[in-house]
Amino acid sequence: MGPVVSAKQYVLTFAALLALTLSTVLIGFLDLGWGSMFVAVAIALAKATLIACFFMHALLERKLVKLVIAGAILWFLILVTLTVGDYLTRGWLGFGGK
Amino acid sequence: MSNPQQLMLREQYGTPEQQRESVTFGMWIFLATEVMFFGGLFMAFTVYRVLYPLGFDEGSKDMSIVLGSINTAVLITSSLTMALAIHSASMAKLKRASFLLLTTAFIGLVFLAIKFTEYYQHYEAHKAPGVWFESSSPHANAMELFYVFYFAMTGLHAIHMIIGITLVVIFAVRAYCGSFNSEYHTPLEALGLYWHFVDIVWVFLFAIFYISGLHT
Amino acid sequence: MSTVVKIPTAETPNYLTEERGILSWLLTTDHKRIGLLYLASVTFFFFIGGIFALLMRLELATPETDLVSPHTYNELFSMHGIIMVWFFLIPSIPNTLGNFLIPMMIGAKDLAYPKLNLASWYIYMFGGIVALYSMARGGVDTGWTFYTPFSTIYSNTYVVGAALGIFISGFASILTGLNFIATIHCMRAPGLTWFKLPLFVWSHYATSIIFVLATPILAVVLLMIAVERIFQVGIFSASLGGDPVLFQHMFWFYSHPAVYIMVLPGMAVISELVAAFSRKRIFGYTFVAYASVSIAVIGFLVWGHHMFVAGTSVYSAMYFSLLSYAVAVPSAIKVFNWTATLYKGSISWDTPMLYAIGFIGLFTIGGMTGLFLAALGVDVHVTDTYFVVAHFHYIMVGGTIMAFLGGMHYWWPKISGRMYPEGISKLSALTVFLGFNLTFFPQFVLGYLGMPRRYAAYPPEFQTLHVLSTAGATILGAGYLMPLIYFFWSWHYGPIAPPNPWRATGLEWRTPSPPPKHNFEVTPVVTQKAYDYDAMKEELGLV
Repeated sequence: MGPVVSAKQYVLTFAALLALTLSTVLIGFLDLGWGSMFVAVAIALAKATLIACFFMHALLERKLVKLVIAGAILWFLILVTLTVGDYLTRGWLGFGGK
Repeated sequence: MSNPQQLMLREQYGTPEQQRESVTFGMWIFLATEVMFFGGLFMAFTVYRVLYPLGFDEGSKDMSIVLGSINTAVLITSSLTMALAIHSASMAKLKRASFLLLTTAFIGLVFLAIKFTEYYQHYEAHKAPGVWFESSSPHANAMELFYVFYFAMTGLHAIHMIIGITLVVIFAVRAYCGSFNSEYHTPLEALGLYWHFVDIVWVFLFAIFYISGLHT
Repeated sequence: MSTVVKIPTAETPNYLTEERGILSWLLTTDHKRIGLLYLASVTFFFFIGGIFALLMRLELATPETDLVSPHTYNELFSMHGIIMVWFFLIPSIPNTLGNFLIPMMIGAKDLAYPKLNLASWYIYMFGGIVALYSMARGGVDTGWTFYTPFSTIYSNTYVVGAALGIFISGFASILTGLNFIATIHCMRAPGLTWFKLPLFVWSHYATSIIFVLATPILAVVLLMIAVERIFQVGIFSASLGGDPVLFQHMFWFYSHPAVYIMVLPGMAVISELVAAFSRKRIFGYTFVAYASVSIAVIGFLVWGHHMFVAGTSVYSAMYFSLLSYAVAVPSAIKVFNWTATLYKGSISWDTPMLYAIGFIGLFTIGGMTGLFLAALGVDVHVTDTYFVVAHFHYIMVGGTIMAFLGGMHYWWPKISGRMYPEGISKLSALTVFLGFNLTFFPQFVLGYLGMPRRYAAYPPEFQTLHVLSTAGATILGAGYLMPLIYFFWSWHYGPIAPPNPWRATGLEWRTPSPPPKHNFEVTPVVTQKAYDYDAMKEELGLV
C-alpha cells in the first residue's frame, strides 16, 4: 500500500493551519461583540476540517467511516441544540416564571 | 525478516485486510465517543458563555495569548510530524518513521511544559478555582466558573496528550525494531488518528478560552 | 421433545473443557467464557440490589419509619437504583447473552477485539468494587440520579466514591458497544447480509450505538460533580451562578437512552423466543429491524421528559413531550409484530415462551403508562410519585428481567450442554409473573393517589396497597431464587442437551452444545434468510 497522500500536501496543510491560527488571533483583537465567539469557532471549524481531511484522510475513507464522523457531529449538535434551546426559550411565555 | 502483517494477524480475523478495516473502523468509533466526551463539556461551557458573557470575557482576558498561540502552533507541528511519520512508514522508511515519531512525542512534551507553566501562572494570579480563587471583579463568580471549565477541559486534554505521548514513544520503539513495514502499519495509522483528534480538540479549546478576552 | 442427536463424550473438547484452571478463565479472550464471567458478576450484583429492595419493601409495610431511619432509607433506594441500573441491568443481557451469542450468530470465531472484551470485564469489576466499597462506607443518599446541589454540596455521604465506581464501569459499556459495532460490521460470515441477520443482532447493534454515544456524557457529568464536590466549585449549584438544571440536562441526556440500553437487548431476546416457539419467521422482519435502530436514535431526543417540573422552558417541555410520543411508535411496532408472529404459528409453551409472552404483556403496560407520563398535564400530577416507579419497573423488571430469564432458559442448553428442569422452571416463571404484578400494580394506584416516591413514611390509608406490594416482592424474590438454584443443579445433574433442543433456526444451533472454543470448524456460508422455518421444516425435524 503506497503513500496515500504526498508529503507536500501535509506541509501545505500545516502552513494553512498556522495561517488560520494567526488570523484567529488578529481577528480576536477586533470588538465584534457576540460575533467574535462565532468567528473564532468558525475558524476553529475550518482548521478542524483541514486536519480531518488531510491529516486523517477522512475524505478518502469508506462511506461507513464518513457516516461515523457525521454521526458524531450530529449527536453533539443534538446535545447542544436541545439544551441551549431550553435556556434560550426560557421566559418567552411571559408569566408563571416560564 | 518475516512478514509483520502475517505475524500480526489475530486469530479472529480471516484476512489482513479485514483486520486493517476493523482496527481503523474501531478507532473512528472510539473518536466518536471522544467527541461526545469533550462535547459534553463544550456544551456546558456554551450554556454558561451565553448566560455570563461579561464574566467569561473577563476570565479570558487573563489568558496568555502568546503562550496559547505558541502551543497551538506546537501541536499543529506535532500533527505534521505524525503525518510524515506514517508517510515514511508507508514508503518503507521505518527508521525515519521512528525518528519522526520521537519528534512528535518530544513536541508533545513541549506542549505540556508550556501548559503546566500556564497553570502555575494562573495559580500565582489567584485564578485557580476553588479555595485558591480570588477576584475583586463584579463578575468574580462567572470568572471562577470560566476557570473551572478551563482547568477541567485543558486538564482532560492534557491527560489525553500524556496517553498519546506514551503510545507514540512505544510505537517509535516498535517501528525501530521492525514491527511494521510499508504494507502493514495499521497500528500507526490508528495512533495517528488519535493524535490528530487530540489536536482538533485543542484547536477548539484555543478558540473558546483564549480569544474572547482579546478585544477588551 | 428432546431427541438426543449426539452425545458429547469426555474426549470432545468444548469451550468449557478445552482449557482448565482458574487462570484460563481469568485470562481468557474467548467471548463465551467472558460471557460467563459477566453472568457470575451480574447475578451477584442482582442479588445485592435485590436485598436492598427487600429491605425497602419491609420498611414500607408500615406507615412509620420503624425499620430504618429516613436517612438509611434514602441510602437504600439510592444504592438499589445504582446497583440495579449500572451493575445489573445495563450489562445483563448484552454482556452475557450478547457476548456469548453475537459471534456465533454471525458465523465468526470471536468478537472483533477479544482482548478488549476481557479488559471490559475487568474495568466493570473494578468499577463494581469501587461502588461496593462506597456502599460499605454507607453508600449515598442522593438517589441514583445524583441531583445537584444536594449531591455536590449538602449530602454527607460517599458521593465521589459511588460516582467514581459508575464512571469506571461506564468505560466497560463504551468498549462493549465499540466491540459489538465493529464485530457486526466487519466479522459477518460470507453471504450474511444485514437483512439476513437475526433480530437479536439488530437490537444489540442499536444498543451499541447508544452505548458509544450516550455513555461518554455520563462519564463527563459524573466527573463534573466529583470536581464540584472536591474543589467546592459550584458548576451545578447557585453559589457561582451554576444551574442545577444543567446537571439534569446532561444526566438525562445519557440516562434516557440508558433505559433503551436496558430494554433493547430484552427485545432482542424476545424476537428470538417468539420466532422459535411459534416456529415462524418474525412478522415484518424489516420493520422490526428498522424499529430497533429508530428506538435508539429517537431515544436520544426525548430526555427532557424527566424534567417537566424542573424549570425548563415551556417550549422545551412541549418539544420533549411530542418526541416522547414519537419514540413509543417503534416500540409499538415491535409489539404488534411479535403478536402477529404468534398468529397461525405453531406455539409451544416451553418456559422461555412463558417469559416471552409475559414480556409482551408487561412491557405493553409499562410502555403505555410511559405515554401517560409524556403528557405534560398528567405528568405534573404523577411525577415523583409511585406511578413513575411502577412505570419503569414494569419495563425493567416485567420487561428486561423476564427477557433475561427467558433468554437464559432458551440458551442454557447451548451454554452449559445441559437442560434445566422443565416442571420447576414453569413454576418459577409463574411465580415471577404473579409476584411481579402483585408488587408493582398496586404502585400504579398508590402513585395515582399521591404517594410520593423515595419516602419511607406515608399516611396510614396507603398501607393496604403497600402491604400487597411487599407481599408481592417476597413472592418475586422466591421466584428469582428458584432459577439460581436449579440452573446450578442442572450444570452437573441436568439431562445432556442436544445441539438444537428447540429445533430452532440460527447459526448458534448448528454447533454442538456446548460449542467448541472457535465456534465453527469451518466458517459457514449463509444463503438463507433469518427464521426460515418454511424452508427448513424437514431439516429441523418439524412436522
